[in-house]
This record gives sequence, C-alpha cells and structure tokens, in this order.
Amino acid sequence: MGTQWGGEIRGHMLSQLIANGLIAGGTYALIALGFSLIYGVCRFFHFAHAAVIVCAGYLVFALSSRLGVPLSLAVVLSIVLSSAMGALLERAIYRPLRAKHASSLMLLVASLGIYVVVQNVISVVFGDDPHALLSGLPTQGISMFGARITFIQVIILIVTLLLYSATGFFIAHTSAGRTIRAVASDSELARIVGIDANRVMLLVFALGSGLAAAAGILISFNVELTPTMGFDALLMGVVAAIVGGIASVPGALLGGFLVGLSQHLGVWKLPSQWQDAIVFVILVLFLVLRPQGILGTPVRSAAV
Amino acid sequence: MEYFLHILVLIGIYTVLAVSLDLLVGQTGLLSIAHAGFYGLGAYTSALLAVRLGASFLISLVAGMAVAALVSLVVSFPSLRLHDDYFVIATFGCQMILFGIFNNWVSFTRGPLGIPAIPQPTIFGWNVRSRISFVLLTALLAVCSYLVVTLLARSPFGRVLRAIREDEVFAQSLGKNTLRFKVTAFAVSAALAASAGVVYAHYTTFIDPSSFTVTESILVISMVIIGGPDSTWGPLIGAAVLVTLPEALRLLGLPGSVAANLRQVFYGVSLVVIMMVRPRGLVGRYGFGR
Repeated sequence: MGTQWGGEIRGHMLSQLIANGLIAGGTYALIALGFSLIYGVCRFFHFAHAAVIVCAGYLVFALSSRLGVPLSLAVVLSIVLSSAMGALLERAIYRPLRAKHASSLMLLVASLGIYVVVQNVISVVFGDDPHALLSGLPTQGISMFGARITFIQVIILIVTLLLYSATGFFIAHTSAGRTIRAVASDSELARIVGIDANRVMLLVFALGSGLAAAAGILISFNVELTPTMGFDALLMGVVAAIVGGIASVPGALLGGFLVGLSQHLGVWKLPSQWQDAIVFVILVLFLVLRPQGILGTPVRSAAV
Repeated sequence: MEYFLHILVLIGIYTVLAVSLDLLVGQTGLLSIAHAGFYGLGAYTSALLAVRLGASFLISLVAGMAVAALVSLVVSFPSLRLHDDYFVIATFGCQMILFGIFNNWVSFTRGPLGIPAIPQPTIFGWNVRSRISFVLLTALLAVCSYLVVTLLARSPFGRVLRAIREDEVFAQSLGKNTLRFKVTAFAVSAALAASAGVVYAHYTTFIDPSSFTVTESILVISMVIIGGPDSTWGPLIGAAVLVTLPEALRLLGLPGSVAANLRQVFYGVSLVVIMMVRPRGLVGRYGFGR
C-alpha cells in the first residue's frame, strides 16, 4: 500500500512521508465517507463496500486494457457501474433481509459473504497476480518541499477534495441530502413525515458506492490492482470512519488523513511492515477510549 | 487411504475451531473475527517452545492455551464493553494485530518464512507419528472440546450466556455481571482454538502466517453459521462440509487454486443464502437476534 520515496535527507524523507500519508489518507477518506453514509442510514457495517472498491478497479482494467475503451470513458463507466452494483446489493439482498427484520449482525454476515464471493470471482477471472492500471500515462513527478509527488498523486488529492466537498454540499444543501440526514438521525420520525426510507437507502448505497469506486480507481492508479486490495483499503477506511466519528461527514475526512498520516509517519520510526499494525492499534485504542470517534456523538450503551 | 485420513485430521481440527467459536457466536451471540488469531497464537506458542526450548507436547499444549487465554483477557476486557457491530470491528483489529505479529516480528517468529521442523507429539510414551494416530489425537481433542462447550452450555453459566445473547440489559437487571461471563466465555473459546493450533502445528510440523489470516477466521465463522449456531452437531457438520468441499472439487478435476476460490465462493454464497432463508443454519437454534 505504500509508495516509494526518493529523498535521502531526513527532512526530505519526512515531507515525503507526509505527502504519501496525505495521498493515501485522501483515498481512505473517500472510502470512509461512503461507508459512513451507508452506516448512518442503514445502521450496519457494509463489508461488501470492499467488493465495490475492487470491482471498480478491475472494471477500469478490463474496459481499458482488454476492450480498448479510452481510459477516461472507462473510469466514468466503471464509477457508474459500481454505483449501480452498490444499489443492486441493497435492493436484491439487504432490503429483503431488512424486510425480515434481520439484525445488524445478520446484515454484516451477509455482506461478508458477498465480499468473499466477489473477491474470489475476480481471482478466478483475472488471476491473483497484480495488474498495473497505468502503463501509458506520464508518471514523472513534481517536487514540493523536498517531496517528490507524481502527476497522478496530485490528481488523487484534487479529486478526493472535490468529491468530498461535492458530497458534503449534497448532504447539507439539497433536499435529497436532507432526507438522508432525516433518516440517519431518526428513521422512525422520518417515516412518519412521509420519507420513503427504502428510497433513501438506495440513494446512499448508490452514492456511497460511487465514492468507493472513485477511491478504488485512484488507489489502483497509484499502487496496483490485486483481488484483495479492496479489503485492505476498506479496513483503512473503516478505521478512518471510526476514528473520525462514524456517520460524520467532516469526521471521515479527518479520520482518513489521520489514518493515512499515522500509517506513513510510523515508517519514520518503525520498519515499514508495521504500518498496518499501527493503524489497528489506533483503532483498538479508539474503540476502547472513545468509541464514538473524534467528532461523533456518543454510541448508545444499551442495545434496545 | 493416507489422503482420506488427512481429511479426517483436518475435519477434527476445524471441528475444534468451530465448536469453540460456537461458544461465542451461538451461546453468547458475539461474532468474533479474531478466532484465527488465537488459533495461530496456540500454534506459534507451542511451535516456538518445542523448537527453541525442546518442550514436550503436553507442556506446549498447556502453554499455548494459557497464552491464548491471557491474550484474550487483554483483548476482551475492553472490547466486550462494546456492542454488536463495534465488537466485531474490535475483534477485526485484534486479528490484524495478531497476524501482524506472526508475519512481521521476523526475529521472533521468522515471519513469512515460517517455523519448520516442529517435532511430532509424544504423549505419556505414546508416539503420535502415523496418520491414524493423528486422527485419534484430533478426535480426542474434538470430543474434549465438545464436552467442555456442552457442559458449559448446560450449566447455569451457559444459561446466563444465552440470557446475555437474548437480552443483555435484562441479564444485568437480574444482577448478573455480564462482562465477567462474556470475558470468561471468550477466554475458554480462545484457549480451545489455541489447542487446535497446537495440534495443527505438531501435525504439519511446519507453520507460517498464511494459515492464520482473516480469511481463515471467516471460514470458521462460515462453518458455525452453515452448521447452525447453538447446536450440538452444527459445528461438526459445518467443518465436515467446508473441509471436504474443495477436496471434492479437486477430485472433479479442477485445478487446486480454482478449487480453493470456488470453495470460498461457495461459503460466501452460503452465508448470504443462509442469512436470507434460514439464519439458524442447518441444525442451529440461534438466528442472530431474530
């Protein structure tokens, strides 16, 4: 998951690590945002989010490398299809489960099952070997504060911030966004005032999956494409969502950058293979000391 | 024949894993994704003791179980204060940390290289060498774990666990210290998983981190759920079905790697279908809250 750095001098290395952390953190923030939106409205951990992330990357690969579709069109198509896939999962699997009053644990188990199926189908179709999405695009970098950042990494940061702001605006200032917030804060009350919760859930699944797809594509541009990359990325996104405060829009961004930075800055003092373990130690610390995250509202202590 | 006996040993080991996880999932209603971590903790503790210090099998077994139980206490006291989904995420974090230790603490665990030349067990003069004696050993272990879990489930202790599963606040209102019950169940479950790891390490004589991944945890969860949580035969059925399935696919002529993927597709589909159609699994009594 890490990118290589070129600077030899310690100060340069530090700024390189910060740059890598921000870039990784941006993609985690997008994943966390989608995951949080879905959790906020549907109240369960949608692990199949990882399936959407990895599918998006492989869709771009299949469309552009195998079928010869232009890359920009392939990216757009992949985001649309992945977003539809998220909505389809909600419609075909989660909604029927919810209609049977499934508990959140049952939805979680089903989503684990979906993820396992998708990951293995991708393994069978494309093999377990990593694929590179970028063979034709320029990879030369620019230097900032001693850190070397590639062109694609600049795009990642810009796209992340744009998507994040657009989503934030959508939720805060449109009527559809208002219905999302209504169902998230009190689904019973939202139903009483005539909001169709099923439609809102379909909407957040489409929206959240679109964000996950964008993140998956950006990650596969930056690193590489493997069948398990969705899960690795999702775990970072989940930690980001929990650390920032689940179901909080600014929390997702804050958590994403925090996770990305601590993952990459940890490399400064510790061998790089520990960077994932650092993130999970942070997760456990937060779960124990502040399960609602930095910006979240306290979790209900009793299951009703 | 040797091959058939090998399958029986694997079924035995996975039965122990599934039975011990059922104590958490089926009896207490706690879904833990850290089971492969405790399985690995048993395997690594005993392998390191046997290889580095020449410890005997029984000492390794006791040590492996004790280490897993102790680590489970460190994990469970904080994470069992969390509910449902958050507990799942906490066990996820623990699984990733345990796997990180197996995989990354190279000077101690040799990381991805794994630990070779683990001695085969000798128990009170019984040299466990042949496949058939390993079948006996794992069967013995499976029966013991069944006894432990069943006796616990039938005791007043088990009744409290099921009360917690159905309604924790209610159990608390009866004056039960539910945290203590959950922590105990978690420790017993971890120690039993570790015992499976000990036998696994001394059976294959080689371990590496790839046997103790999240995927392995999800595999054991699938065994419990397919067999049916809170049931006598569910874990055995689940383990038997999911162990033999890829072997059957291989006999059908599919290459090993595709068979492994297809097995995972099968258990992924089963998880979804079972949740939609029959959350109690094949023979279980508990369906995740509904």
